[in-house]
Amino acid sequence: MPTPFLELLAFDAATLGEKIRAREISPVEVTEAYLTRIEQTDSKIRAYITVTEKLARKAARKAETEIVKGKWRGPLHGIPIALKDLIYTKGIRTTAGSKILADFVPTHDATVWTRLSRAGAVLLGKLNLHEFAYGLSSSNPHWGIVRNPYSMDRIPGGSSGGSAAAIVARSAAMTIGTDTGGSIRTPAALCGCVGLKPTWSRVSRHGVFPLSATLDHVGPITRTVRDAALMLNVIAGHDRDDSTSSRERVPDFTASLANGISGMKIGVISELNNGLDDEIRKSFDAAIDTIRSLGAIVDEVSIPSLPFAAIVNTIVMMAEAFEVHHQWMLKRPDDYGADVRRLLEGGMMMTAPAYIRAQRARARTIADALSAMSDHEVLIAPATAIPAPKIAGPSEVEADLVTGILRFMQPFDATGQPALSVPTGLSPDRLPLSMQFIGRPFGEAAILQAAAAYENARGPIPPPPEIR
Amino acid sequence: MAYVTGESVQQVLKDLYGYEITAADANAIAHTAGAMLTMAEHLSGLNLEGIEPPFSYPGLLAEAERLQKNGK
Repeated sequence: MPTPFLELLAFDAATLGEKIRAREISPVEVTEAYLTRIEQTDSKIRAYITVTEKLARKAARKAETEIVKGKWRGPLHGIPIALKDLIYTKGIRTTAGSKILADFVPTHDATVWTRLSRAGAVLLGKLNLHEFAYGLSSSNPHWGIVRNPYSMDRIPGGSSGGSAAAIVARSAAMTIGTDTGGSIRTPAALCGCVGLKPTWSRVSRHGVFPLSATLDHVGPITRTVRDAALMLNVIAGHDRDDSTSSRERVPDFTASLANGISGMKIGVISELNNGLDDEIRKSFDAAIDTIRSLGAIVDEVSIPSLPFAAIVNTIVMMAEAFEVHHQWMLKRPDDYGADVRRLLEGGMMMTAPAYIRAQRARARTIADALSAMSDHEVLIAPATAIPAPKIAGPSEVEADLVTGILRFMQPFDATGQPALSVPTGLSPDRLPLSMQFIGRPFGEAAILQAAAAYENARGPIPPPPEIR
Repeated sequence: MAYVTGESVQQVLKDLYGYEITAADANAIAHTAGAMLTMAEHLSGLNLEGIEPPFSYPGLLAEAERLQKNGK
């Protein structure tokens, strides 16, 4: 007997994978359920730019045939996923959320998609984002305003807004985002799902349209910590097409998820434990209590140069982003949204000494972060100081995003440390609240372990209201 | 303290890039750019003496090797 539609959508990807392997559920029925869900919700949420319906059905049938024949590729086999629309997909339009690349069809796949495809994942489509990933609202002037499933008049965060909104709206089982100044963790935090920014270089950037090469990270946005670990297992590792990708050993990131955190030393970053909205404060303090109750040893740590890391991030991003867009800015400035054009114009004024000094300062901040972690396996901080702000309109820059969000996010792009955002609950007006787990470089396993223990103790977060 | 004016922004963008913007836009950029350039000066306060920029020769060689392998 087929599994009911809503029940199918309620399964996290790990559970779906187990049921698909056991042939209790078929990849075809799961894919059909997700395609129906996209049809039901996406005219309101605007999470997708392109839905690859035919290809999804074809891939689902192929997955089903393989599994029936006993050729099981792994936990992602037959799982419907979607990609931020700056991940190159051969033969499928890849817009980067822009007007400039509105008709761009790549001739090769990004390595991250090659690996997911080989693992048997089914591509549902390409997800909306802040134009060229350069902003936090995902109010895209060219492809529509992405809305937060918990409150349709609020932003989902960005730049991977479509990636997080699709997870929470249950219009994809897993998604991929990118993070240069918080673009995986912010939308995950504001939408109430899990966002993992791995260590810089852990995941190949080959075939990912760049925002800022030395800061860009690629990673999963998922419903649970386990799902994030499963996805990272597939996408992590050296890629000969990305000379900056790390040769660091890739462990099984799911191996320590059930180990708990008894005795684990966890530091609360004092520089980020202030200026919080009351509800975030209460929720974060409650999360610390929960973590303590699991046997972790929690105390405060300081990373003195952390506030400078946000400045470093901004200077480097402005300079590198302008270098990417230089020619288009001169030839087609009016084809950019006003906010992105303004940021790129700012990059025109960035000087070489400022850029080089900012790059040198990164080493200082990493050294401070490593010192703070010398006797702590994991650090924690709020993910944001505020819940999702109201939509201000396409291309409007919202002032409180800097103090409310960016200062919590940008430092870990500058240091390249792995950082994971996980929900801590809902505010009284039912908006998601979230915290971050931050690790040592290549210490993803430790933050996944800590976050999984916390997530398990926290229990489920109430889903968003039905989307009408 | 980096003091950037709207006029100087208009001049730099025009002279360096042939890019023209309105006075109002230039003033907004002057504000951001001035703040960022001032912050960049403040980064020296982090004791950067002896810290190398992270542009390594092994990294450069790895990229050259990739280009060579791909016949580019």
